[in-house]
Amino acid sequence: MMRTVEVIMVIVILATAFIVGSLFAVLPSPRQISSVNLRELALTTLQMLDEKDELSTIVFKNPSDASWGYLETALSAALPPNIVYNLTVYDTSIASNGTIGYNSVNSLSNAQTGLGASSETASILIPSSDVIFSVTPQKISKTLYILNCNDANGWWITGYTAQTLASDLQSMLSPYFQTTILVNTTQQLGLLLNNTLGGRDSTNSVVINTFGEAVPIPAGYYKTDGYDSSHSSYAKYGWRLGQRTYQYDWTWVSIVGYPLYYVTNTATFSGSSNGWGIYGMVSVGAAGLNAFLRGLDNQVYSYDDTWITGSPGVVQLSQSATYSANYYGIFTSPYQTSTRALPTSIQSTYHLSVASLVFNQVSNWVAGATYKHSGRGAFTAIGLARIPDIRITVLSLLMYYSPTLYRTEFTSSGTTRLVVLQLGLQGGG
Amino acid sequence: MPSATIDHLVSATLFLVAIVLFISLFSQNLQAALLYQRYHQVAMKANDLLDSITLNTGYPTYWGASSGMPTSFGLQDPNERGYHLSPFSLMRLASYSGAPIYYPKTGLWYSNVTMASGGFLLVPYTTAVNYTTAAQLLGVDGSYGFQLTIAPILKVSMTELRANPLRISVNVMGPGLPLGNAYVSYNLIRAIDVQKQYPAFTITSGDARTYANGSAILDFPGIDGSQYAYSLIANVRLGGLFGVGYLEHLTLDKQFVIPMVKSFDNGNGTATILLAHSYDVHYYGPPEAAIAYNATFLVLASDAALHPILVGNGTITGKINYGVGKPYGQILIPNSNPGILVITYSYGNNYGISLLPWGIGNLAVTLTYGPSPSVKDWVATDVRQVVVAGVSYQIKIALWSLAGYQVQGSRWAS
Repeated sequence: MMRTVEVIMVIVILATAFIVGSLFAVLPSPRQISSVNLRELALTTLQMLDEKDELSTIVFKNPSDASWGYLETALSAALPPNIVYNLTVYDTSIASNGTIGYNSVNSLSNAQTGLGASSETASILIPSSDVIFSVTPQKISKTLYILNCNDANGWWITGYTAQTLASDLQSMLSPYFQTTILVNTTQQLGLLLNNTLGGRDSTNSVVINTFGEAVPIPAGYYKTDGYDSSHSSYAKYGWRLGQRTYQYDWTWVSIVGYPLYYVTNTATFSGSSNGWGIYGMVSVGAAGLNAFLRGLDNQVYSYDDTWITGSPGVVQLSQSATYSANYYGIFTSPYQTSTRALPTSIQSTYHLSVASLVFNQVSNWVAGATYKHSGRGAFTAIGLARIPDIRITVLSLLMYYSPTLYRTEFTSSGTTRLVVLQLGLQGGG
Repeated sequence: MPSATIDHLVSATLFLVAIVLFISLFSQNLQAALLYQRYHQVAMKANDLLDSITLNTGYPTYWGASSGMPTSFGLQDPNERGYHLSPFSLMRLASYSGAPIYYPKTGLWYSNVTMASGGFLLVPYTTAVNYTTAAQLLGVDGSYGFQLTIAPILKVSMTELRANPLRISVNVMGPGLPLGNAYVSYNLIRAIDVQKQYPAFTITSGDARTYANGSAILDFPGIDGSQYAYSLIANVRLGGLFGVGYLEHLTLDKQFVIPMVKSFDNGNGTATILLAHSYDVHYYGPPEAAIAYNATFLVLASDAALHPILVGNGTITGKINYGVGKPYGQILIPNSNPGILVITYSYGNNYGISLLPWGIGNLAVTLTYGPSPSVKDWVATDVRQVVVAGVSYQIKIALWSLAGYQVQGSRWAS
């Protein structure tokens, strides 16, 4: 009898285990296992109703307007019969302490009570069609000089002229600079180099050479001074430009190719060509850039025609350049081809440091960057192959000066409304 | 001693019975949990598959407006973002709703999207994407079965209340409720006998609002609806929902023009539509006779009016007849614009109008794609709101496992 009692006790234990196990192992309801994706349904409903801006129009109307009734009818028609909804529209506003507030404007619902714990929500932010969201850039307190000399020719700007590039640069960069001045002749360039153009002090300015690998040279003093008779070269003009960049704390910008490889003046060099059929131009070769860097470093002039650039091939925008491209809305190709990248060695040789890196460094080559001299002056060199993408130049300057964009607040009261659609299954769950 | 033996027998028997009973009870719970897990997996798959279909254009991106087969399946409109479906990709899906049609003059079978009288969407199976191909491209072939239903949210129906002067009631319904205050803009296309050879057509446009019962009454003073054939196309909108419906009135019943898609892409931005004589398809028997037709491609512009788009000579006229040696008609239409091909035709003093929607959506076509899930054991469904050519649609997926739901011993499904 004892064993029977023991077995009965085992049965009781097993039964208890089963009951306790069943209590805890609660299976979900079939509705939870295989329910409609309410969140996606809510989102697609809002998007569909706003397909032709109907929803956007209604949510900004007075809550007593009849169109809210149309929206209610549309919601009832669009959603399956077993779905209950609650659509709430909020006005967004920003408090003085920066906190964003949401104030309920109107609510539509076909549910008598709450929608249940299994309800899902989707929302969209709708700007008012009556509001224009503007962006105002911070002005860089510098003067921008763009070389636009009509008596000079460009090289490696194939498909463009320096004048069209100057025009594009002006339209893209003038919103960011206090003053933008086009240097329309080589004679004006001479005045700029003398720091007397328009009676303005050009100290701490930016000068963009839009002529590609060539640089305009004024007749007269700079042509004479810039000529190295012992080497029959205008390399010394490059040194003078470097000197002026150092002296007046300019930022000199080269938009493409090998900087200062030619000098150009269609009147003075009318009988000379660069060897490729472009007249009004004289080749300087690699000596021009070397002389410029010596001038920028405030060294005495000496002739050096060593080729210093390299050809790293395909280069990629740096992380900071990508960020700036998104911030300023300048969407260039992130991959470019570089055949005139500067070596990293110039940084130690000429006391330069990379202030903003446009393209990631490849081996010892920097395809695009703005170099800041330890004393005064800066040099932006975009060593890409032709044809120039002028937006890269714009991007490099904006990266270097980092002007802030002041955007209209989306959260200003009455300009934006948040529409929240909550869906639940009938019967809760 | 005997009592000890009895004790042993009773306890052993009880123990064995209890063990079998509890193993059965525990395993039932485990089976149910496993089944639920598999059902949940099917539901998740339905959700993923629906997003994959609706948020992916497929490849080539514009496969819907080409004659080639896609190498990746998706129905998103490549010209839009989000849940916009391509009206052309949908048009190339082999329909499961209408009976296939055979046309002996091309020797091809045609996928038939069933429409009301006078509306045709017939696509040759050689260029239609069949269910098996789509399942393979989606990677569910052999593992899951599915059915897609793409249907307009608003049901727009029309009834002729009076023929002379013509009065028509437009009824707008949501799922189960009439839509009052809906804005209705309509275009009445009437076949008229101007040239005495090929029937032309005129378009009368206007707008109205529905009453609380969802009906709008349209009056056309001076128009005798019984005299010539007409077709009324009504576009409806309310609170962000857009719908369309149409009504056909024909004075011909057996002789009519059946437009069929011959080519989706001729390589020059055009598609070819062939015009077949109804006798070649339905075999009504004598007397057969030549039908004169006049075809024009119309697009619905932002002003809610229908405007013709011309290709080549624009309006194309001709005659077609039944039988061997009588070629079908052919016309070109632009293949990248959703629109409606309107074909007015006549036989003696009898008139008719055939419509071919170029792109699902223009006439609120409902499409069913894939086998019926009605006999399947466990079917998961999911739904999205989408827009097709500016018309509000719902796309619903029903998905089931082809592997069944076996968890122990016996097979439960499929």
